[in-house]
Amino acid sequence: MTRRRWAAAICTLSFLSVVPAAAYLKLGTNLGNRTVTLRWERFPIRYFVTNRDVDGVTAQQFQTSVTRAFATWHAVPHTQTSSQFAGFTQASPLRGDGATVLGYQNRPDLDRTLAATNFVIDTVTGEIVESDIFFNSTFLWSTSESGTTGRFDVESIALHEIGHLLGLSHSALGETELRAGGRRVLGAEAVMFPIAFSAGDISDRTLKADDIAGISDIYGTTDFEQETGSVSGRVTKNAAGVLGAHVVAFNPVTGKLVGGFSLSADGSFVIAGLEPGPQILRAEPLDDGDIESFFDASLTVDVNFHVKFYELVVVVPRGGGARNIEIKVTPK
Amino acid sequence: MTARFERAARAAWLAIAVIAPPVLAASPAAAQPRRPPPPAPSAGSWEIGGGVVWIRGVDFGEHTAELTRNPGTGTGPFDLFTTTARLTEGVGFQGHLAVYLSRSIAVEGGIRYTPPKLRIHISADAENAADQVADETIGQYVFDGSFVYHFSHATFSRGRGIPFVAAGAGYMRDVHEDNALIETGTEYHATGGIKYFFDARPRSHRFGMRGEAGFSIRDGGFDFEDKLRTVPIVMGSLMYLF
Repeated sequence: MTRRRWAAAICTLSFLSVVPAAAYLKLGTNLGNRTVTLRWERFPIRYFVTNRDVDGVTAQQFQTSVTRAFATWHAVPHTQTSSQFAGFTQASPLRGDGATVLGYQNRPDLDRTLAATNFVIDTVTGEIVESDIFFNSTFLWSTSESGTTGRFDVESIALHEIGHLLGLSHSALGETELRAGGRRVLGAEAVMFPIAFSAGDISDRTLKADDIAGISDIYGTTDFEQETGSVSGRVTKNAAGVLGAHVVAFNPVTGKLVGGFSLSADGSFVIAGLEPGPQILRAEPLDDGDIESFFDASLTVDVNFHVKFYELVVVVPRGGGARNIEIKVTPK
Repeated sequence: MTARFERAARAAWLAIAVIAPPVLAASPAAAQPRRPPPPAPSAGSWEIGGGVVWIRGVDFGEHTAELTRNPGTGTGPFDLFTTTARLTEGVGFQGHLAVYLSRSIAVEGGIRYTPPKLRIHISADAENAADQVADETIGQYVFDGSFVYHFSHATFSRGRGIPFVAAGAGYMRDVHEDNALIETGTEYHATGGIKYFFDARPRSHRFGMRGEAGFSIRDGGFDFEDKLRTVPIVMGSLMYLF
């Protein structure tokens, strides 16, 4: 199962389900009639790096960048994750050999895929037991501290893919425009946004509020639950639920943005991991990327409505939730 | 109380003192004379009052929901939408209880409640969403203590009016709508005003009204920034002195 990141267009395959009752998107899988969040249960995550140099990046430099990206996720407060570099290997990623491997593969056939992550999971518990990440050496890469024009930054892309490795799906916190040859991102406020910034950019080496809320929702300690809160409610159109609406919570005091989705037919959404305080809620159609980047292709997502702000300031309590919010959108 | 009135009062007491002994001597079984309570306010007097309070609002300024811009598509952050926030003025209730340490000085404790609205105007959406004003009510409570100084030598209207100044500090509790969140802080205030008694005659019990204006300095509570906020405050009360 893979998550792919495209340089200019989204075409991520979504074999996994998304888990409702969460902000951002968490990866999940259907076990019988229930959906289980994918997560690692055993730490540290031991990973290997393919011992292969590519143009401009040695295996050692690659490993150093990847290790920094892991450390960025592990440094999120009130979460418990860890990893350990186990050594270089001759094995390539995406083999399903029981070892978590990160490395390059030359895949010119995937001419818009920078990198992809796959999983091996325990189909009884949902536990992730292996996850490989491949970086497409068809593209030019860099590990330069300040980035290199025309080359994609290993650490930035690794941070996105390791987010998948840890169990996060894509965030829709971004704006794009359609151009000849695909979609171009104008701005994003989540490392987990599915479309990469231009080559040479290194701004995705830093996690955003949406990423932090997402990883904290999966691996957060009780401190996290006590110190943050949630908003929940429904997005409706003509009194019926809207499936797949993207709901963004903006805290005007801190400037932080965290997104979530209405993930059921009645339009229910939950955004967790919010700092206590006032929030502005904005509902928008999921029109800044291919639907398949976020949801299973079998879902019928409604994108036929206008962007709408909720008419009240929503105050998120500490350790609790602001509930029964209804954002009434209108058809286009 | 005027100086002339004080001289008259002293003369009256002197007359009573001179006349009383013979009366007491002639009638030893009679009840002891009760000294009339001093006219209020005086040391030991109490004052209770309550009324309305107005406090000016606070502008919290503009706060934009920003996305990190993809280089090559422009400069600066990509603005998703913009908000302009303001805490509206608040009109509420207040009450106080004071005890006089002397004719001029009193200490008092009080409570104030005002319910301003946090009003956020949302505009300039990147996808042309209609502008929206979102709001919520914040219940602001202040439990405070003050020193009050009365200018006893500057009374007017035959002793009915007394100018005063007050200053103190308090505990501030801002309660968001539905008790969703409580934020606390410290409040300092300095006011000046006039107490006006309805009856000019000095009595131990007096009714009157009190008006004052000044500044309230807020440190903490609900705010967009960690800074002191100074806002004008006006209060009017009915009061009972005893």
